[in-house]
Amino acid sequence: MLTADPDADLEFSLAEMRRQRKRKRLADVHIIDALYRADLTALVGGGAIYALAGAIGDTPLNAGQLDSVTAHGAGWLGLAMAFAVAIGLRSGSRGGPLVLEQAEVRHVLLAPVDRTTAVRGPALRQVRFLVFVAILVGAVVGILTARRLDGNAAAWTACGALYAAVAVTVSYGAALCAAAWRLPSWIGTTIGAALVALALVDGLDVVNLSPLTAWGEIGMWPEGFGLLGLAALVVSVTVLLVGFVRVGDLSVEAAERRSTLVGQLRFAATLQDLRTVIVLRRQLAIELPRLRPWLRLPVRGTGRLPVWTRDWRGILRWPAARVGRLALLAVSAGLALRGAWEGTTPLLGLAGVALFIAGLDAVEPLAQEVDHPSRAETIPVERGVVHVRHLPAAVAVMVLVAIVGAAVALALEPSVGGLAVAAVCVVPAALGGVAGAVTSVLSDPVLGGGGDAWALVAPEAAGMRLVMRTAWPPALAIGGTLPLLAARSAAEHNTSAVGAALTASILVVAVFALVVGWVRWRDDLHAAIERALPSKPEPGAKDRTRET
Amino acid sequence: MKRKYALSASGAAKIYGDLVALAPLDLAIKQGERIALVGHNGSGKSTFLRLAAGLLDLTEGTIKVIGEPVGTSPARAAVSFLPDEPVLYDDLSVREHMAYIAALHGVEASPETFDTLLDRIGLLPRADDLPARFSRGLRQKTSIAVGLVRPFNLLLVDEPFVGLDVSGKEALLELLEEVHNDGAAVVVATHDPSYVERVDRCVALRDGQMIHNGPATPSEVVELVGA
Repeated sequence: MLTADPDADLEFSLAEMRRQRKRKRLADVHIIDALYRADLTALVGGGAIYALAGAIGDTPLNAGQLDSVTAHGAGWLGLAMAFAVAIGLRSGSRGGPLVLEQAEVRHVLLAPVDRTTAVRGPALRQVRFLVFVAILVGAVVGILTARRLDGNAAAWTACGALYAAVAVTVSYGAALCAAAWRLPSWIGTTIGAALVALALVDGLDVVNLSPLTAWGEIGMWPEGFGLLGLAALVVSVTVLLVGFVRVGDLSVEAAERRSTLVGQLRFAATLQDLRTVIVLRRQLAIELPRLRPWLRLPVRGTGRLPVWTRDWRGILRWPAARVGRLALLAVSAGLALRGAWEGTTPLLGLAGVALFIAGLDAVEPLAQEVDHPSRAETIPVERGVVHVRHLPAAVAVMVLVAIVGAAVALALEPSVGGLAVAAVCVVPAALGGVAGAVTSVLSDPVLGGGGDAWALVAPEAAGMRLVMRTAWPPALAIGGTLPLLAARSAAEHNTSAVGAALTASILVVAVFALVVGWVRWRDDLHAAIERALPSKPEPGAKDRTRET
Repeated sequence: MKRKYALSASGAAKIYGDLVALAPLDLAIKQGERIALVGHNGSGKSTFLRLAAGLLDLTEGTIKVIGEPVGTSPARAAVSFLPDEPVLYDDLSVREHMAYIAALHGVEASPETFDTLLDRIGLLPRADDLPARFSRGLRQKTSIAVGLVRPFNLLLVDEPFVGLDVSGKEALLELLEEVHNDGAAVVVATHDPSYVERVDRCVALRDGQMIHNGPATPSEVVELVGA
């Protein structure tokens, strides 16, 4: 048997072997590939700056607006910082922020090499890159902001860069600490949500309790230097240093789970394959169905409504985390709808997106059917018929979600008129969410999907298809909230809000009926299109290959 | 002097939410002992091996390897784990893998040492090829070479014969015998009842619970865990 040299410098060996691998990798990089990537990055960066410049604008603010920025700027920047910390805590409580190669987890983390030394290098490279990007983005935002604000442009640029760098520092440090202390995911999420909530009420000037407003001061230093910001800077660096000292205490189990799933997750995200992203994200969060359902439905032989029953058996096994997420989405949608009712129309988009995401959970039984296409081929019923039979349970779940949302919206300012409008808006909102989700789940991934029918379309249409495929499902969900807009408009013109909402609801129901028709007959439609292709053989029904 | 066990588990359990993958388990394995870990699919064999290797976090209890808590540096130096699904680098050849892993364990092995091992498992002609392009069986052989190119006191092997051809299986059985003769404890999780004839003790698991711990014949194994 081989023996180990007790005096061997294992960490040096590791560093040397990594250097060799890096040299090998660099030798394999082709100059044209590198130039192409640089070119692409420059193009994307340029586009982003252009879009940002348009969003920020260049008209100098008036005195009142400047006073408002001075008074509330730190609070709102604190809110952005709270989001950064929440993301860090969530990532760390799930084994992040590092994503090690799976072989590194198996062979390096299980070797008697000092884990802190082994992991510190990759962590340092990652944070270095993130800080560099943050400085660039922060500086650009600073330059653009300076055109509208008082003060020295160089100061705004420097503070913008510093604020962004500190945001990355504290977020990354929080993630490292959460991973090292093996913070349970629910605790990480709760702390993050609490910080965001505190920062939000601080930003709204309701209660000034958010500790992260101090971080916001860094971005506002050109308006006046404060020591609190300096203290925040010191705390951020300290958190990162503590994270680096404890980086070796990470959970190997979490690191391996992350290494296995994150690569697939990124690939699926690149293909904009939302369903795969959802499935992998659940695996990353260990979101498993409950062994003991919330309520056990007795099995009494073959029932009359097998799909409906099967759906509820699955839904009743949803883990608490998913139920909690749906509740949170319902609350978010309710708050956004209330804001839209008060006059902030863009909040309808936020509400629609929340309902769309909730819908993706609600159509889970249907999505599982789609994930396993061979199952549908083994039953003597058309696939479209089975898919349509999955919809009632999804609608029922979404009605519950919409009722919670409506209750939240009403609770802010209860009224009989508001109750009537909310009651009318519940069903369309639910139908919109389901329509968006079901369209997303049943459509092919944006890239790499589409089948032969797309061979007929000019390549120039690919971009438009990409945009349509990405935007259409959430747009359907947003469409479900339109009755509220109609009701608001009617109320503003002193006509019947409920009547307007009902009229708009008919439109939503009609759109939903079209979606149901598409679900039922889409195979026939595809078959008809593909039969029109002269050189292609008879099409098969199977078009998804996510069988596991 | 108190003799250290190669492995000692006390109330070791792994629970995922409401799923008990491994119920609290007490088990001691002496140095040089050969153990067959048997059980049907989902019985907890792989979970136990991964816990002992330090790949999974314990929910309850403790596991010690040569008297050190699992996951600590001495324990990591003492355990070699051969997984059922090989995990290898995409950009390293078989020989480079062996050099890397040997270096990480402080072994100064000569190229001849690598070649001897590779020759025994029939991988020498492919020594400079990338395992990323290998078949399942060849990747399994690479994994075996990587697992044996370093010193250890405890060898954990998960479903070792899956994907191996007859010569590969015979070579592995020989190597396991040699490892045992060199004084290392060997724990092999397998579905093959006949393997119990080659070991000192059989540990059977069912639904995460230990249902047998002692000698057993192949027919007794079939009775315990099913065919």
